Amino acid sequence: MGPRKRKGVSDMSAKKEGMVYVTTLQERIVHWLLAGSCLFALLTGLGLMFHSWDFIPALLGGHYAMKWMHIFSGVVFAFALVGASIMWWEHCKFVPDDLKWAMQAGGYLWDTHDLPPGGMYNAGQKLFFWTVFVFGIVVVVSGLIMFNPLAVPVTLARWAYMLHAASVMVIASFFVIHLYLGTFGNPGTVQIMFHGWATREYCEFHKGKWLAEREKKGGEESQAA
Amino acid sequence: MTEYIKLIDLTKCTGCRACQVACKNWNDLPAESTGFTGSLQNPADLSYNTWCLIRFDEIQNGSGMNWIMRHDACMHCEWPACVKACPSPGALVRTDTGAVVHDPNYCIGCKACTAACPFDIPRYSAEQEKIAKCTLCYDRITDGRKPACVTACPTGCLTFGSKAEMLSKADARAAEVQGVVYPRNPKYRTNVLYIMPRAIDVAQLQHTNPNPKMPTTILWWKNLFKPFTLIGMGAVAGAAMLHYMVRGPHEPHGPEKKEGGE
Repeated sequence: MGPRKRKGVSDMSAKKEGMVYVTTLQERIVHWLLAGSCLFALLTGLGLMFHSWDFIPALLGGHYAMKWMHIFSGVVFAFALVGASIMWWEHCKFVPDDLKWAMQAGGYLWDTHDLPPGGMYNAGQKLFFWTVFVFGIVVVVSGLIMFNPLAVPVTLARWAYMLHAASVMVIASFFVIHLYLGTFGNPGTVQIMFHGWATREYCEFHKGKWLAEREKKGGEESQAA
Repeated sequence: MTEYIKLIDLTKCTGCRACQVACKNWNDLPAESTGFTGSLQNPADLSYNTWCLIRFDEIQNGSGMNWIMRHDACMHCEWPACVKACPSPGALVRTDTGAVVHDPNYCIGCKACTAACPFDIPRYSAEQEKIAKCTLCYDRITDGRKPACVTACPTGCLTFGSKAEMLSKADARAAEVQGVVYPRNPKYRTNVLYIMPRAIDVAQLQHTNPNPKMPTTILWWKNLFKPFTLIGMGAVAGAAMLHYMVRGPHEPHGPEKKEGGE
């Protein structure tokens, strides 16, 4: 962590020495809406699937209450997914460097000295985005069908139940990777999603290409808003 | 507790609908306002308040015609898809009598059972936000009595007894009338059986499933993707922990930094 000078500063985006403002407030809000609704839906969904995990309905006020919590968190998730897609679509388009990154597993599994300078997101993050995007759509659409299975042919309804669970399996497993790499795996990352700032050193290491392009465009201050 | 079977001998049904009335009566189900749908079938379908129904089918059979009346209600599966799909413990239960019962106190109105059931039996009420279906009169049979429909049946079409007794009775009767026992899939047993008259193919009748089984999608949902959500999350968490111990955090650590630390 670099120095954080907050004396007399009320705006989180005001310039801090040695630090780079990476995410906008909007990005952080949408990220946590998406993450929060996803996790809450996962928690209530697991509570509905695993009868032995009755501590979840016990905490949340029973299965009936949990049904509606699950539905409403799904609605929040759907809207957050739309917001996230609009915000990160461009950032998450794959580029040739992503293949180079992927061939070296991003330097996570063995020592490598040939990593291309990173853009805003690396290939792994992009893959997570597209996974959540694709399977998120499946979860939302199948969830809509499950909200009223009687409105569709029974075969479609049954597929919806199965695909809902299959998509959750994929998203939930990938989410654990995301959780690890966003916290313990990459020190300095989780702060970006709280206050928006990362150290210069962090950005040079993880987002070299992005940092260079941004500084060419006109420095930190103009970006900080 | 003994396991019971309800046997429906379609060669004996006259379509009098005493079973329909007795079911309403015993289970305290209100009458429905219905209309004429071009058939003697009334009401037209099962509902939240109609747990058993006589269905009328006219079937062309060579030069002649068969008029089939069929008592239609929950089949009380030995391996019920509705129970497998149900997210609320106690809302749908297969009891040791063989009866699959619903408990409105625990039903959360999610409608998963309506999609899972291979016989399209559970009926949802948006007003009550719950489902309902035939319980095989669980409250009667645990008291040593027969289901209300069986008690009311005047022709002997509906009979009820212990599983062993009714299975041999079904075989004997099917041989006698040269009909078939339905469903007779040894892999999908139910505690309700039909004697289908000779010359009638079950596929010709409305609201039947000629090949009842646990829907594959429901099976994959509950037996594959459900456990593998946890297995997947757990495996990845383990891999992450291992990675942290073996590789450590992913940070800039060039040679100059290492020297500085020494």
